[in-house]
Amino acid sequence: MNNLHAKTLDIINLNVTLPNGHRLLRDVSLSLEPGEVRALVGESGAGKSMIGKAVLGILPTGISISQGEILLEGTHLNALTPATRRKTIAQTSALIPQDPLTALNPVRKIGPQITDPLTRIHGWTKARALARTRELLDRVHIRNPDRVLNSYPHELSGGMRQRILIAAAFAPSPRLIVADEPTTALDVTVQKEILRLIRELQQETGTGVLFVTHDMGVVAKISQKVTVLFGGRVVEDAPTRDIFENPEHAYTRALIAATPTPNASIEPFRPVPPALIAELHREIQADDDRFSKRAQP
Amino acid sequence: MVDATYSPRPMRFKVRNLRLWLPLLWIATLIIAAVFAPIFAPHDPLAQDLMLERLPPFFIDGSEPGHLLGTDSLGRDVLSRMIYGARIALFVSVIAAFSTGIFGSTLGLIAGYYGGWWDRVISRLVDIWMAFPPVLFAVLLVAVIGTGLTSVIFAIALIDWTRFARVIRAETMVQAQMDYVDSARIGGARRMATLLSEILPNVLPSIIALLALEMGIAVIVEAILSFVNLSISSDDPTWGSMISEGRGAIHFAWWVLLFPLIALFLTVLSFSTLGEGLKKQFDPVLK
Amino acid sequence: MTDVMTPPQPALFSIKGLHLSFPDRAHRPLFGAAPRIEVLKGLTLDLPEGRITGIVGESGSGKSTLGRVLVRLLAPDAGQVTFDGKDIGALDEDALRPLRRDLQMIFQDPMSSLNPRHKVWRIIAQPMKRYRRGGTRADALKALEKVGLPESFADRYPHELSGGQRQRVGIARAIALEPRFILADEIVSGLDVSSQAQVLSLLKTLAKDMGLTVAFISHDLSVIRHLCDDVIVLNHGEIVDSGPVQTVFEHPKSDITKALLGAIPRPEIDDSWFE
Repeated sequence: MNNLHAKTLDIINLNVTLPNGHRLLRDVSLSLEPGEVRALVGESGAGKSMIGKAVLGILPTGISISQGEILLEGTHLNALTPATRRKTIAQTSALIPQDPLTALNPVRKIGPQITDPLTRIHGWTKARALARTRELLDRVHIRNPDRVLNSYPHELSGGMRQRILIAAAFAPSPRLIVADEPTTALDVTVQKEILRLIRELQQETGTGVLFVTHDMGVVAKISQKVTVLFGGRVVEDAPTRDIFENPEHAYTRALIAATPTPNASIEPFRPVPPALIAELHREIQADDDRFSKRAQP
Repeated sequence: MVDATYSPRPMRFKVRNLRLWLPLLWIATLIIAAVFAPIFAPHDPLAQDLMLERLPPFFIDGSEPGHLLGTDSLGRDVLSRMIYGARIALFVSVIAAFSTGIFGSTLGLIAGYYGGWWDRVISRLVDIWMAFPPVLFAVLLVAVIGTGLTSVIFAIALIDWTRFARVIRAETMVQAQMDYVDSARIGGARRMATLLSEILPNVLPSIIALLALEMGIAVIVEAILSFVNLSISSDDPTWGSMISEGRGAIHFAWWVLLFPLIALFLTVLSFSTLGEGLKKQFDPVLK
Repeated sequence: MTDVMTPPQPALFSIKGLHLSFPDRAHRPLFGAAPRIEVLKGLTLDLPEGRITGIVGESGSGKSTLGRVLVRLLAPDAGQVTFDGKDIGALDEDALRPLRRDLQMIFQDPMSSLNPRHKVWRIIAQPMKRYRRGGTRADALKALEKVGLPESFADRYPHELSGGQRQRVGIARAIALEPRFILADEIVSGLDVSSQAQVLSLLKTLAKDMGLTVAFISHDLSVIRHLCDDVIVLNHGEIVDSGPVQTVFEHPKSDITKALLGAIPRPEIDDSWFE
């Protein structure tokens, strides 16, 4: 089933739709090579989180994939039965969520919350799962793994919880990790630490990462490829270096310009020009008209 | 990070809203029947006619066309007694629910917002109050202060205010944590003004929902007290006393028991569904 | 730039030896009072009149607590909080009320700081009415115009607005009273960069036009660099660095400041950033 030469992830013309037909993702295509970090960047409403949710099969109720293909490690996810699809996704992918507090069950200890998926989904023995968990906790610089494994989530700080979730995500060496704004709730110094950990582990395990963020600064540091989104549409798709040194689309340039930097010589507070937003909305409208024509020939 | 612009939704007549409209329909029927009882009731609810005792309802052989739902063991018309009974049921439920609601919500708002000493006293009082078995408490109370509708209403308010006090206290505490309460202080509002113009509008949907629920409860309590003959005089037509009398004749005149029981059931069910529905309708945010 | 040339301004706020602690409910014994956690450990600082002072620090540094003492939502355990020559640290609510018109605040979360049951114009007009500075619909419309929102927003409810629009309403409410001081507590942390830029340039323009003294609390040094005249860096309830922004950014004294500056991910390719 697995094709050794396949891309980690290949998304082709993905459309995600509300029950009333409104599209949240509009013909999104992107791909991810093994060991690559691709940033999905955009403002709220751009649909960047929706892509990760569609790939992991965790779209909110009522929202569904109306068209398009998702290939995970060369496997067409749409072609599978729901049960097989869930199993395939669980065995190859993991999620690092935005809010490390609600992602952990408050009434269970940390230890079993990390090891359970390893034994249940990956069929590991308890001993192997525990050894791997300890190894990973050490890798994310948690000095006292046994104490942490026996703690409840509320006994740990936000940065600590996020490191635990990173360890849990990387423990089975998944092929794909979706990181959904994993540092938005953290202080800058902790953010830097977390970004470094994700980068180190991802390079070590050769895991491909879809990194959802709204921060162009984070994009510049963590990713090799970037997909810039607006209104559920791909505005620009390019290697990170090109995005910052030679951005093609005006919206990409505007997003970079709006990102605050401590550099005093750069003119501050430049919002995305309203004319550009209006232009993008017009493009979306035209796109939707074509789409509805295509749907009803 | 939600940045979407919402637009207000107009209230629409949808199947989903049946949960709101069906109870409203039943309650409206009751209100009309109660207000215009002398017009709608085919007979005097107290008129006895021993020649026509235990007549069955219209769909059973041997019925009389004048007595749609039959007659009881004293020959009184069941439908007419039910219509007059609705008068008492509605009167009791509205007055009792509002007095209970106003009393309990006031205490709940004070405890939840002022906290400290106020909260400790009110919360302890609620704890103590709830330790009494409610029906026994009501029976004792009415036995002491005497029977009659005023006593029934008084008993309901005195027992059930804790329901309002508890829920509204908790809701008020949640609202009091919100920044808009601090921002009212920053804007120079006095504490009482903050409570009335900032917090109260936000707990009002809960109060309304509880009021509807309380009306249902009041109907039941009134029926229970009638059932044990502690409401108004047993001649007067109340659903409770009809059920109580019908119980004795269940084997040969089940309709005397069944029809008021159905009315009671529908009314209580309507009030409680209405409560939930109203809460949603009145909440601009949660919709 | 011009920071060094600016003559020293008289302080609008002068704070000396400010201490504040909270009860630690998580470690409350079965009987008796909970132990207290010291959040502010003897702060001494001045906020010069007519300037924007940034207060920066990580979570737990006490920056929001300090802010809430300035607008007297919290009272200090010890120390002086002098506003315009008057110690307001120990005043009770009744004595504070006339002063509050001058001490306004813009909140972090505009959704929870705008009453969801009131229309926009009423949210703005209500405090004006209380201080007898107008409070009609027309007055609210004027304030809305100042923050760049059209008249049509007056009759909307907060949940019908976008995050950036809500924060503008928060600003309109604060400036409508023509205060002397405004506390802005993480006012852009929930917004997209584009709305951030709009709200911040609006705040800067209004503050300079109205001669406001502003305390701007943020975890984001980039924003402070461009918005503020002075900056105070807090760490675990103590001041570790302070001064004009240019000085602090170019010659940070404390390792904390250096770490904070070094951790900002700038939107540019920098392969050595993680080292």
